[in-house]
Order: sequence, then C-alpha cells, then structure tokens
Amino acid sequence: MTPRLLDKARPHASIWAYAGAALACAATAAAALPFQQRFDLPNIIMLFVMTVVLVAVKAGRGPAVLAAVVGVALFDFLFVPPRFSFAVTDAQYLLTFAVMLAMSLIVGQLTAGLRAKAQEADRREQIVRALYDLARKLAGAMSVEQVDEALRGFLADQAGARCWLLLAPDAERLVPAGGCPVELDHLDLHTAQGVCKGHRPVTSSALDEPGRSRHFLPLSGATRNRGVLVVSVPDGAGEIPPLLEALASLVSTAVERLHFVEVAHGAQLEAMSERLRSSILSALSHDVRTPLTALYGMADSLAMSRASLPAEAADTALAIRDQALRVSDMVGKLLDMARLRSGRVSLRREWQPVEEVLGASLKLLGPALDGHPIAITGLDVLPLLEFDAVLIERVLCNLFENAAKYSPPGSSIALEALARPAEVELRVCNAGEGFPPDRLDRVFDAFERGRPEGRVGGMGLGLAICRAIVEAHGGMIRAFNPPSGGACVAFTLPRGCPPSIEAETLPPEGEL
Amino acid sequence: MTGAMILIVEDDSQIRRFVRAALERDGLRVAEAQSRREGLIEAGRCRPELVILDLGLPDGDGADFVADFRAWSSAPVLVLSARSTEHDKIGVLDAGADDYLTKPFSVGELLARVRALLRRGRSHPEAEAAVVCFGDVEVDFSRRQVTRSGVRIKLTPIEYRLLATLITHAGKVMTHRHLLREVWGPVYSESSHYLRIYVGHLRHKLEADPAQPQHFLTETGVGYRFQL
Repeated sequence: MTPRLLDKARPHASIWAYAGAALACAATAAAALPFQQRFDLPNIIMLFVMTVVLVAVKAGRGPAVLAAVVGVALFDFLFVPPRFSFAVTDAQYLLTFAVMLAMSLIVGQLTAGLRAKAQEADRREQIVRALYDLARKLAGAMSVEQVDEALRGFLADQAGARCWLLLAPDAERLVPAGGCPVELDHLDLHTAQGVCKGHRPVTSSALDEPGRSRHFLPLSGATRNRGVLVVSVPDGAGEIPPLLEALASLVSTAVERLHFVEVAHGAQLEAMSERLRSSILSALSHDVRTPLTALYGMADSLAMSRASLPAEAADTALAIRDQALRVSDMVGKLLDMARLRSGRVSLRREWQPVEEVLGASLKLLGPALDGHPIAITGLDVLPLLEFDAVLIERVLCNLFENAAKYSPPGSSIALEALARPAEVELRVCNAGEGFPPDRLDRVFDAFERGRPEGRVGGMGLGLAICRAIVEAHGGMIRAFNPPSGGACVAFTLPRGCPPSIEAETLPPEGEL
Repeated sequence: MTGAMILIVEDDSQIRRFVRAALERDGLRVAEAQSRREGLIEAGRCRPELVILDLGLPDGDGADFVADFRAWSSAPVLVLSARSTEHDKIGVLDAGADDYLTKPFSVGELLARVRALLRRGRSHPEAEAAVVCFGDVEVDFSRRQVTRSGVRIKLTPIEYRLLATLITHAGKVMTHRHLLREVWGPVYSESSHYLRIYVGHLRHKLEADPAQPQHFLTETGVGYRFQL
C-alpha cells in the first residue's frame, strides 16, 4: 500500500515531538549527573549538543531549537557552579552558554534541514513511482472507464484528491467518462466547457468546499481537445498541483489512444460488414442466376426443336423462355439496385468516347428495341469523357428499353448529345405519350412507374438505377416532356480534363 | 467438325444437361466435369478440342484452370459468366480464355460461339490468308493495303497494326490490356484511352455506321472482339 503523502507532509511537528525533545534533554542531564565529578564541563556540553542532533534527526527543526534552549538551561542549572541555581558566578560561563546555544542551534538546524531534504526526496520518489505506475496502467487501459478508475485511485492514494474525467465526443458536448458525476454542479460543467474550448487550465478555490481547491485541466489531443480533467485537491497537498498538468497530458494520451483504437475498430467492422454484404450479394446472384440460366436454356432447347412439337407446346416453350429472360432481367436489376444502394460502388472510370458505349448498348439490346429505329445526333463533337463503361452502358440500355416500351411500334427513338462548357448532356427521347406531368420528379424513385396502371410490365427500377449511376458519376438526371411531344430523359456527365493524345501523322503515300 | 470433343466444366447439373444435349444434337462429343480439379483431370484424359468453363466453380478461380490448361493445350476456352463480373472475365481472358457468354444465354448463341471457336481452333485461315474481306472492306496483308468498295483507305501505322492484330484474333475477345501490349508495347498497358480512340478511328474509316458497328465490336468493360 502506498503511504499517503499527506501523512508525511506535516508542516509543524506535533506537541509530542516537543515534549520528547524536552524529555531527551532531561534524560541526558540525568545520565550525566552521576559523572559530574569525574567529567569536565566541556564533555557534558558535548552530550547536550549530541542530544540536540539526535532530536533534530528524529523530530525536526522546532524540537531541535527547544532542545538547544532546554539543554543550555539544564546545563547551567545542574552543572555550572553554583549548582541548582541559574546564577552564574564566573562571567566566562556566559560565553560558554552563548557558544553552546549557538552551536546547538546551528548543528540542530543543519541536521533538521538534511532530514527534511531526505524526506522530500523520499516523497518525490514515491510520487514518481506512483506516476510511473499510473502511466503503465493508462497505457494498458482498454476502456475510458479503466483510465478513469486508475486516475481516481492515484489521486486518492497520493493526495486524498477527487477527480472527474469529462470527455468531449465532439466540439460541443462534455460527457462524464465513468458514469454520472453527481458531485459536479452546473457551474462546474460550465467552467469545464469553457476550459475545453479555451485550452487553458483553470484553478479556483471558490468553486470547491472550504479547504480544497478545484483544478480544471484541458486534455489536449493531437487534433482537438479530448475533454477536461476536474480535480479537487485538499489544501496542503503541495506536491500535487504542479503534477496535474503532467497528469492531464498522460490522461489525454490514453484517451486519444483509445479514441483511435475505436476509430480503427469501427473501420474494421465496416469493412467486414461491407465484405459480408458483397459476398451475400454475389452468392445470391450466383444462386438465383444458375437455375434461371438452366430454365432459360432448357426452354430455348425445347423451342429450337419446335418442328417435332405440337404447335401449342412449341408456343409454351417460347413463352417459358421469354418469361425466364424477364425474371432474369428483373433479378439483375434488383441486384444492381442493391449493389448501388449499398453506397460503395467502386467506379472503374476511364476516358473514352461516348460513341463506343452507345454502340455496345444498342447491340446488347438488339431484339428488345423491337424494331424502333434509333436516330443519333451530336455525337461527333463530343470530347472523351471519364466514366465507368459498364455502368453507363446500363443507363443507356435502361433508357432505350424504356423509350421502346412506352412508344408506338415502329416510331423512332432519338439520342441527342449536347456539349456544354462543363458537362455533356445525353438525351433519349421517344414519340410516346410522355410522362404524366404530375409525376415527373418521382419517376426516378425506386419501384415507381410512370404509368402504374399501364399495359406495360416492369418493376420501376430502371430509372432509379439510372439515377444512382449518373449521380455516382457526379452528373444529374431529369425527365421532361418536350413541347414537340413524347418523353425525354436527359442526363449529364462532367467533362473534366481529358488526357492529351500524341497525334500520329499519316505516312507518305504508298507506304503504310 | 463432326465428332469434335467438347469438355464442359460446370457445377450445375441442369445447365450441363441442356448444354450437353444441344452440343450432341449438333454432332459433337461431350465430356463433363463438375469442378476445377475434375476438369483438369478430365481434360488430360479426353484431350478436348474446346472447353466450356463456368466461372463460378466451387473449388477455385476460372483463371487458374485456364492457366493450368494452357500449359499444355491451345484448344479454345469458352467461359460462361454471370453479369457484373467484368473483372473476373478480364482475369480469365488474360489467362488465355478465348471468349465468354453471359448467363443466361440462348442455345443458338452458344452453338454459334462453339462453331466459331472450333473453326478457329482447327486452323487460322484469317491469319494465314493474304487477303481478308469483311463488309465492303478488303485488307491485303502482302501489299499492306486496305480498300473499301475499291477505294484505297489510308491508315496510320498504329491503325494498321491494330487492324492486323484484331483480324489475326478474329472471333476472340481481346482485353484492353492485351491489345495495348500487342500494338503499343508494354509501357502503354494502362493507357486504354489510346486504344479506344484508335478503335474509333478504324470504325469511322471502315464501318458503315460507326455508332452501330458490325465488325469492331465492343465488349464493354472487357475489351474488343473483331467479327468478320
């Protein structure tokens, strides 16, 4: 058990020490008395001086002074003729008394000083050891509660001080670390708040009960204040206040370390849940797609051998095939949506011409375009754009598919490209009925369909997917009905700074 | 091509069943395997002229299978893959696979790809021929001349090199990285915008409608395929 510093920090020796000093002088006198005849007076003086030294070592400064005075008095009374009287016959004895008193005082004071220094060194060593112990505990603390507990233990053991650890989870709030601090009142919290914002420690005895003073120390971290340490120290624990700043920096290091551990742990958790989510998605996608692939393939095989089937069965086979394809398409869209909604789609952006991805989506759609001719304008003036080709292909496919679905058979679908200073806009327009005017801004919501009661099937995910993809690219998407009729969806892609291309010159004629 | 041996490596029995039926109807012989390991053993035994490989095998990566298979065979590999796995496709194509089909696929499409790959596997007529024609374009390799409807088309050296590379690997999916390395050299393997711009040039010079190409086809996110 660490001894309390308080016990040793006695500013004044007790009454018992003085009594002891007087008693020691009396004992010396009593011991010397029988030898009074045989010893010379100077030797007796030595005995008294030695007594003063012993008293100084044992009891300190004050008792040593008393012992010096009492020693001289006893010497005069008991040993100097005329004995048993304070009267002095020989004047030279006055000098003896003066020297004896001076010597006793000086030796006594020197000895007491040494003793005090040794004691102080002891105390310091103890504090240092306790601090070291605390630092070790703080370094090993796994939670803020443990930091709080170690700190409380240290301050209570060393100085009978109380403390409260207030943490700042953000710039505005202060919350107690280990449960609710009932002892802190509104004024305390207000002061702590000010200290946390002002980054300067505050000491006040007015805020505490009499006999104690209250210290508010900011816990400065590398990036911001981590909180405030409030310590109530009893008056007289002189060694503690200078230590408090060191203590606060120890605590702030520990709290900051715990904060970063928590941050790292959070990031790890998030990465784990992200991995889990994507592995669930890919497992789901595999498990759902595999039977659909088989279903589609088998129906297709059956439809291919239609010559050997009755007409009705052949039609059924075709219908099964088409339905399987539709389900597969829906599953694809749902999985796309889930992936985009998870918010962590990593774009594989590359610089490329729009023309290429447009061609790829038209080829991919093929029969789904249902014979609608596509009229393309404005492509040749477009710069290279930076986008994820797979995702933008999906946007174009969804837009063309919608345009074909909601327009009269055989009508043409227009793709228009407009180059603006900071962005490029692509518009897909059809000659259909247009979006219902009151739903224009809602068509991009998931599971929202332009004409819910319409004859055309669908889940209402296509445009929601388009919006998620376009917004991930830093673009905008909107729907409108142009005055000339039909429906349009327009989306933009930022132009950015295209990479430079080293131009290649044509070789001279005849050489290729 | 009657009787060519095809190996199907696919873990789903229903898919194996209809693929097998379609191939056998086409007069091809079929061997089956359910896993990567089994597939390699079976390939060693039956020496297939073409492998149909599922990318989602339970015991490992398709790219590993192709790399192991390529160590001793140059038979074409057709990959079956799900959508949204462009990265895996690139991996398996870079490892040496020739083509891929996205699930779900139609039987007609499958057979067309299989026939095209078998033709390529048997010989390389496009690579060996001195003159290759597609659409209204004629490429004369011996004279390094390209004509379209009889009119001479001027190509830069890089355009010509790209065209020649694409024609040599006609029918095969070429990844961006592969083409960049072959035409521009290894230093350029990350500058895919060069490739895209030059493919655009070829389309404008040689396609009827550059926005809806018939020969220089884009495999989005993966690379290009040249179709005669």
